[in-house]
Amino acid sequence: MKKRKHSIVVIDDEESMRDSCRMILEKDGFLTETAENGSSGLTKVEKIRPDLVLIDLKMPGISGLDVLEKVKKIDSNIIPIVITGYATIESAVEAMKRGAYDILHKPFTPGELRLIIKRGLDRIKLFREAESLRNEKKMIEENFITMVSHQLRSPLVAITQYFEVILGGIAGEVVPRQKDMLVKARTRLNSLLELINDWLDIARMDGGSIVDKLKIVSLEDLINKQVEFLKPYAEKNKVTLSLSSISGSDKALGDSDSLEQVFSNLINNAIKYNKADGTIKILIKEEEDYITTEIKDTGIGIREEHIPYLFNQFYRVSRSEDKKQKGSGLGLTIAKKIVDAHNGSIHVTSKPGKGSVFTVQLPKAYNTITQ
Amino acid sequence: MENSKAKIMIIDDDPDFRDAVTSILQSALYEVVTAPNPEEGKKKILKEKPDLILLDIMMDSLFDGFSLCNAIKTSKEFSSVKNTPVIFVSAVKEMTGSRFQFKGEDQGLSGPDDYIDKPVKPDDLFSRIERLLKK
Repeated sequence: MKKRKHSIVVIDDEESMRDSCRMILEKDGFLTETAENGSSGLTKVEKIRPDLVLIDLKMPGISGLDVLEKVKKIDSNIIPIVITGYATIESAVEAMKRGAYDILHKPFTPGELRLIIKRGLDRIKLFREAESLRNEKKMIEENFITMVSHQLRSPLVAITQYFEVILGGIAGEVVPRQKDMLVKARTRLNSLLELINDWLDIARMDGGSIVDKLKIVSLEDLINKQVEFLKPYAEKNKVTLSLSSISGSDKALGDSDSLEQVFSNLINNAIKYNKADGTIKILIKEEEDYITTEIKDTGIGIREEHIPYLFNQFYRVSRSEDKKQKGSGLGLTIAKKIVDAHNGSIHVTSKPGKGSVFTVQLPKAYNTITQ
Repeated sequence: MENSKAKIMIIDDDPDFRDAVTSILQSALYEVVTAPNPEEGKKKILKEKPDLILLDIMMDSLFDGFSLCNAIKTSKEFSSVKNTPVIFVSAVKEMTGSRFQFKGEDQGLSGPDDYIDKPVKPDDLFSRIERLLKK
């Protein structure tokens, strides 16, 4: 087991207090920094990110309680311990309410200091164990999902591969009736594969793993990539597809892989349900807290009564004119799950016969990393 | 077909895949050799000296295919065959459902000359092979 040195910052305006704490703590093997007031103390905490902070409640300048709050904002994993004297007992209680882990009452013996530090470290140990258990659980879940997906998909891929051989006439002549059935069977297989992919996506998302790593994402780049990739499909359907306008920033906070999936799905739908010679216009605009992306199509539209259910699992608008019933019915469900996990929103407005507008709002990324 | 004597090697752990793609390639008069894993693949490459290699990157551990490709292109052991074109056969959709992106360059690994998804479509396979064999 690796033994890392723990670090402590002591914030107290009394020099003798700082010195004696430092002496005791360094003797016990802690990396110790001291500060004589709240603001220099906070600077050190920000820089070092110590395991524990000792905060004197009675200091000139920024009050101990304010320092406490600011420390928690910097990193809620830091264990704050407040130091009180007789004049500050009430603020000690207040400090506990505001998240201090423990109270050290002046005057204290080295033994008492050590005891309080030890209790703080035990707490840290519990946090770390809980976190590593959570990570382990997540890894097991992800491994499970990967295993299941491999076992489900692998045979299907082998089967469809044989279909390619047979339908290619490579294993002998295929009479029209045979070809007809094989093509239909292959279509069903592809749908099955797609369904499995979608369910596994949902399983992964419900496991909470998808949106761990939020980064600054350029929606313009992301959508352009999808447009590039889907242009051939659009052209085949005689639909013009373009990212037509960007106003303001396009930087959102998100996970690019899953956002790619969202926009791929929406643009695919816009192509699939569009009319010949139709258009798809995509707009990105910066708004107060969000980056809003609109995907406007000139397709067959969606009747109002279907709209509340559109993002439900398996919901299918059954239309007599819609012969293209491909897909698993989960695409919009997955898209919504991803967007929701980003703390964003997705909705749609539509005019049957005229077209639909899907609007995705994602949290704006600011320049500073701390949100 | 011009390259009727070209020898293609398939390295894949799925015997049905090897069987199916062998018949696709033989129908176009390619000669086919196969191996069920990277270890056997290594030996056969040096022995058979194929003109092109189809390499499944989803065998066993994810990096077997990557490191074999890298070894072919960069290691001394394979210097006699280092210019052999390699096509990654990606069943990534099989594993993760997502589109494949070769990120090995970040780790300094030499990548393949092309990619192809499973299930392999004969025309797609032929055009990729021809393109690489012309070089």
